[in-house]
Amino acid sequence: MQPVTLTINRQEVSGHPGMTILELARESGINIPTICHHAKLAPIGACRFCLVENEQNGALLASCVTPIAPGMIINTESPRVLEHRKMILKLILASHPDSCLVCDKGNQCQLRLLAADLGIGLIELDRIPQPAVTEEVNPFIVRDMSKCILCARCIRACQELVIEGALDYFGRGFKAKPATLNNFPLEYSECTFCGTCVALCPTGALMEKEALYRGAIGDAVQTTCPYCGCGCSISLEIKDNQVARVKPAFEEQDNQEALCVKGSYGCDFIHSPKRLTKPLIKVNGDFQEASWEEALAVVAGAFNKIKKEHGADSLAVLGSANCTNEENYLLQMFARCVLGTNNIDNGSSLYYNATLRAFSESFGFPGITHSLKDLEQAEVILLIGASPEASAPLVNYLIKRAVKLRGAKLIVIDPRRTKLTFFADCWLQPKVGTDLALLNSLAKVIIEENLIDHEFVARKTDKFQLLAEILGNYPLEMGEAVTGVGVEQIRQAARLYAAAGKAAIIYGTGITQQALGVESVKALINLTLLTGNIWRKGGGLHALQRDCNAQGACDMGALPDYLPGYQHVGEAEARNIFETRWDVILPSTPGAGALEIIRQSREGKIKGLYITGENPLAGFPQAALVKEALATLEFLVVQDLFLTETAKLAKVVLPAAGFAEKEGTFTNLEGKVQVIRKAIDPVGESMPDWEIILQLAGAMGKPLPFSSLQQVMDEIRELVPLYRNDRETNAPEEEDLWDTRFDYKLPLKTFPGFSLAEYAPPAGAPDDSYPYILLAETSLYRSGSGVRSTNSRRLSKYSSSFKLRINEVDAQKMGLSSGDQVRVVSPDGQLQAAVEITGSLPEGTVALPRSVPEHPVTGLFSSLPEAAAKTSARKTCYVRIERS
Amino acid sequence: MYEKQILICAGTGCISSGSMHVQESLSEELKKHGLQDKVRIILSGCHGFCEKGPIFIVYPEDIFYCEVKVEDVPELVEEHLVKGNVVERLLYKDPVSEKRVFSHKDIPFYSKQKRQILRNCGVIDPENIDEYIIRGGYSGMKKALYMDPLEIINTVKSSGLRGRGGAGFPTGMKWEFGYRSPGDKKYVVCNADEGDPGAFMDRSVLEGDPHAVLEGLIIAGRAIGSDEAYIYVRAEYPLAIRRLRKAIAQAEEYGFLGNNILDSGTNFKINIKEGAGAFVCGEETALLASIEGERGIPRPRPPFPAVKGLWGKPTCINNVETLANVPLILRNGAEWYSAVGTEGSKGTKIFAVTGKVNNTGLCEVPMGISLREIVFDIGGGIRGGKKYKAVQIGGPSGGCIPEELLDLPVDFDSLTAKGAMMGSGGMVVMDEDTCMVDLARYFLSFTQSESCGKCTPCREGTKRMLEILERITQGKGEPDDIERLEKLALSVKDSALCGLGQTAPNPVLTTLRYFRDEYEAHIFDRRCPAGVCKDLLSYYIDPELCIGCRACTKACPAEAISGEKKEPHVIDETKCIRCGACFERCKKGAVKTR
Repeated sequence: MQPVTLTINRQEVSGHPGMTILELARESGINIPTICHHAKLAPIGACRFCLVENEQNGALLASCVTPIAPGMIINTESPRVLEHRKMILKLILASHPDSCLVCDKGNQCQLRLLAADLGIGLIELDRIPQPAVTEEVNPFIVRDMSKCILCARCIRACQELVIEGALDYFGRGFKAKPATLNNFPLEYSECTFCGTCVALCPTGALMEKEALYRGAIGDAVQTTCPYCGCGCSISLEIKDNQVARVKPAFEEQDNQEALCVKGSYGCDFIHSPKRLTKPLIKVNGDFQEASWEEALAVVAGAFNKIKKEHGADSLAVLGSANCTNEENYLLQMFARCVLGTNNIDNGSSLYYNATLRAFSESFGFPGITHSLKDLEQAEVILLIGASPEASAPLVNYLIKRAVKLRGAKLIVIDPRRTKLTFFADCWLQPKVGTDLALLNSLAKVIIEENLIDHEFVARKTDKFQLLAEILGNYPLEMGEAVTGVGVEQIRQAARLYAAAGKAAIIYGTGITQQALGVESVKALINLTLLTGNIWRKGGGLHALQRDCNAQGACDMGALPDYLPGYQHVGEAEARNIFETRWDVILPSTPGAGALEIIRQSREGKIKGLYITGENPLAGFPQAALVKEALATLEFLVVQDLFLTETAKLAKVVLPAAGFAEKEGTFTNLEGKVQVIRKAIDPVGESMPDWEIILQLAGAMGKPLPFSSLQQVMDEIRELVPLYRNDRETNAPEEEDLWDTRFDYKLPLKTFPGFSLAEYAPPAGAPDDSYPYILLAETSLYRSGSGVRSTNSRRLSKYSSSFKLRINEVDAQKMGLSSGDQVRVVSPDGQLQAAVEITGSLPEGTVALPRSVPEHPVTGLFSSLPEAAAKTSARKTCYVRIERS
Repeated sequence: MYEKQILICAGTGCISSGSMHVQESLSEELKKHGLQDKVRIILSGCHGFCEKGPIFIVYPEDIFYCEVKVEDVPELVEEHLVKGNVVERLLYKDPVSEKRVFSHKDIPFYSKQKRQILRNCGVIDPENIDEYIIRGGYSGMKKALYMDPLEIINTVKSSGLRGRGGAGFPTGMKWEFGYRSPGDKKYVVCNADEGDPGAFMDRSVLEGDPHAVLEGLIIAGRAIGSDEAYIYVRAEYPLAIRRLRKAIAQAEEYGFLGNNILDSGTNFKINIKEGAGAFVCGEETALLASIEGERGIPRPRPPFPAVKGLWGKPTCINNVETLANVPLILRNGAEWYSAVGTEGSKGTKIFAVTGKVNNTGLCEVPMGISLREIVFDIGGGIRGGKKYKAVQIGGPSGGCIPEELLDLPVDFDSLTAKGAMMGSGGMVVMDEDTCMVDLARYFLSFTQSESCGKCTPCREGTKRMLEILERITQGKGEPDDIERLEKLALSVKDSALCGLGQTAPNPVLTTLRYFRDEYEAHIFDRRCPAGVCKDLLSYYIDPELCIGCRACTKACPAEAISGEKKEPHVIDETKCIRCGACFERCKKGAVKTR
């Protein structure tokens, strides 16, 4: 395309067609002040502050929305422009309160900065009182509409970035304001308190509520959100060694547009008064504070003794999907080199294992196929077994943006009606637990109707005939009978998916935590292989992850069967690399996984356990058995931020530092390795996990060969193929951009193969005594086992109730009304909850929120390990409901 | 075989003055006299002379009865239809010569007009497509269907037709942009969101000649390569909507709409979208947003709708009156059309004349006619023999034209040069009793409350201007208010996002330009020369005229009037609240204002 040449302020400049005057001016180093404009939002030309004059014809143009044209003679500061610009600002100031002295926005207020810049003081127009503060009870956002200047950034943020549509213009003319539907408080709207509008508000109209610190802060540290697997870049504002405020790091990161409520307002757990500040040693059943030397000596002594008496495999380590890559790397080294056992796993294995297994078996390597950015190219998105609106909000935004702004088609497979089903072109509602039958039916239609990518299937895959033959045996009507989804609907969805040039699949724990988790993931892989959607941009498979570093913990080998980089412990060649480097003999048989560790502890086979950053009592199935198992241990040491239910059972509790108090890296669900930076000093005497591990290894007499975190990072880069970084290592800015995804294809040695798992009805089908299917739902306001979200003051304040959601028909049958107290009873446990009647669940299905430590819903599930995935069905179980 | 035809006006104006009851009563009377097979009643569209409705015309004699009431019907039937005598008392009476006029052609209100667009209004039955066709309807479309799109565009271009919605953009050029914009789907939109208070020509055309608009749309569609149109019409026009729907159904039945129109291979579909009556939705981008189901707020241009319009597709938006011109141009040729008008403004324009003139109503005049002719010939001069002061042209966004400019030729460019604008053709005539500051305040209060609130200058600026104007009319004006007002007005005009904001200051700017002395009188002398601004009035009793009847004393709620019986009374200005009760009550005209 021909560049467009024009003049701006007597300077000849050229840009590409379609550029706005503002863009070109800024690129050329000419500043045009703006108010409503924001780089993340589509320009609307509302404030008119960026007016410039085209001296060619005397026209005044809003530079943010006017495309450049050849021959324009633009003056950004002609007397006319300046006069109008001042007038606009005066007009805005005239309906804005004079409360700058007490306004928390302080020197960060753009209005105030612009007024100072243009030299506008007192204005001659009368002040007109504006509406007062909107009454709101939520603990996150406070709206003071008297300070609103109607730049509509909040409206656009809500409608363009997070696509919630909670805010829109309300009223007309001078009375126009951004508001919710019917001008209700935010909590009665679609608002999810993501805080994007607050971050974008140029004035003090939208502010964070109940913040730790009032006023504007200059110092900020960019790091990575510690909650879900999306790995959003956040900016921590620091004051007096405290994290005062969290904001999306959009200035720093191009791809960061919005956070969720947890990222924006949930990090206040850092300064919870309940944080552990000193090591604790249990003496006669009570914890007593101790020094680090004492505590570590007790742990080291106990581990050495157990190892000596019962062998290395009587010890085990449970790593954490919330700890950094470096810490997990050290932890698996600690297990393998110091303790000498492969008994190591991390909490993500309870949901991520199905993906790891299925990917290894189908692709020959467990890894990531696509980056989230690729979703921007997808023509069709198939969402199954996932609630990204709760578990991965960033992915939720991406899906909605693709549908609303780009016209992508969405297929949702979910028995529940969710916010995303309203965006779907096709919504299939299979019976709970029958996804595999449905996915096989989709594959059958694709083959039957010849919608496959023949070239891809023939050249790049294996075992297609086998799949075609077996699927040929099942009539589609059988799929309908099992899943309850009509044949026509199945066909429609299959055609939609297969017809797209680029179709992506997103799945979550609704798939991986099923009894047939591995098989279901394989069935998803079949779909991508049939349609050639595997290495195509905009295609692929995206597995949602609950924890911020589930991917990293697994990549680092905090797994019973894999060394770092998914190099199997049984392969001598792989072991050899690490043995040479570490100068040890590594155990070669796979160790016990998470649930197996619990089982063996209960059986007395495992006697000593080291848990870092995990809370099995609240997160693992059959809480009663877990408690029994942990109590049976000879020695339990727990390393955490808080005195969790699990920690209370420990002999020694070690206080760990949180994500804001240490350095390291997290790997998000798309395989992006991101830096976390130290923003404040560790709380109390707590120490970063990596330091504790190193000191413990030292105390046990087998020091690990690292004296700094940098050395650990370097070794990871050297020994873990995925993390090999070709760029200059001493360019620290670039570390944020490490990207394992690019290396993904390297280890692929075989053709990806089709595999067929036939659907089998689950064991323990409903009988009269347990007539309901219980779903454990992820909640937006909670995370993981709930340790941090419960200790976030604002999150727990807003979402403290524990409710059983139940369909209105079922509620009627039982004569239940909202608020009634009931007992939810499964064969493995029971819980008390209040009833909430809903229209979004199908009949016969009830739902409880997970991640509430005091009511661990996972405790209702059976811990029967499902053979291949070594996970049990943790998403659903059969229950009955009793009045209490 | 009918012997006579009677046209009863069924435009909104005449319906509200009772024409439907007249029609019912006429049918009954005809039956009584056994004339139902000899006299045919036709409900016509608006005649424009709404002031004198209901209008009742008897053909073939062409006798124009006006202000016909139900109780007049028996006499009309008995006298005129049975006996053949004209009922003179129901004829139009010329206000000057006081003579009765038999035919509408002899009424000055009509004789100065050139009714091209309104040719069918009041003549045909708008609900009967055949009547439209008989008068040449759809022949322009027929021609266009077999013309090359560029040929159509060139015809419209050389006709000199400019958009009648307000801005006066050349229609042919707009179509060419639409034609040249690449797109698999294009739209034509008819803007029938007539929002100017007092303007109702679009409504009259839609009600009186809906097929003309449909024909215009089909031709526009053919020209730019569109197969679908929307008519955005305000929901407050139920009759227009009903007639449009009927017309569309008839056109579809005749094969003028739908697939493969008259075997030409052209497809065309027309949808109706009812608007909720926000003034800003007449702005084209807000109108498009409203059709899309979004809040009606303007979007920045470029991209212009011709490039990226309805649902992102190239879209041509034309006003009702513009579209009604199009069939004529196609039928009679560009040369015929451009024979009427001035250098830069061709054809005719419909104005809605209201205010202090004798004849109010719709009139269609050739471009270039002088304001004087409209006000004094067609409008019949100022009511009650008062003095002419100004005319506000172009609705609330237009401007005031004072007496010294009465000979100004009315066309797009002359009006703009004087600070007013053609707008949609509203024309409010004002006499000496109108306060120009109050008038500016009134029009600004309209645009201010219709501002959508999106852009700062319009949202905040119009509010502030209104605040200053209110202050002035309340007698609280400050010395530098005029300068402040002028600065604000210029800023809003220059920097607002859409046409609404850019034109909202016009009434203020033109009154400041032509009637600055009135502002100064309000501010410096605390006086309203026209005697309108209540807070600046003072009432007094003329002792010469007062007979001391005490009527005013009783009417005064503030006990401000005193005086002995049968002696002249006096108003205590310190107690007077200026309610005007005494003024209204006094039968002798002794209470006066100053």
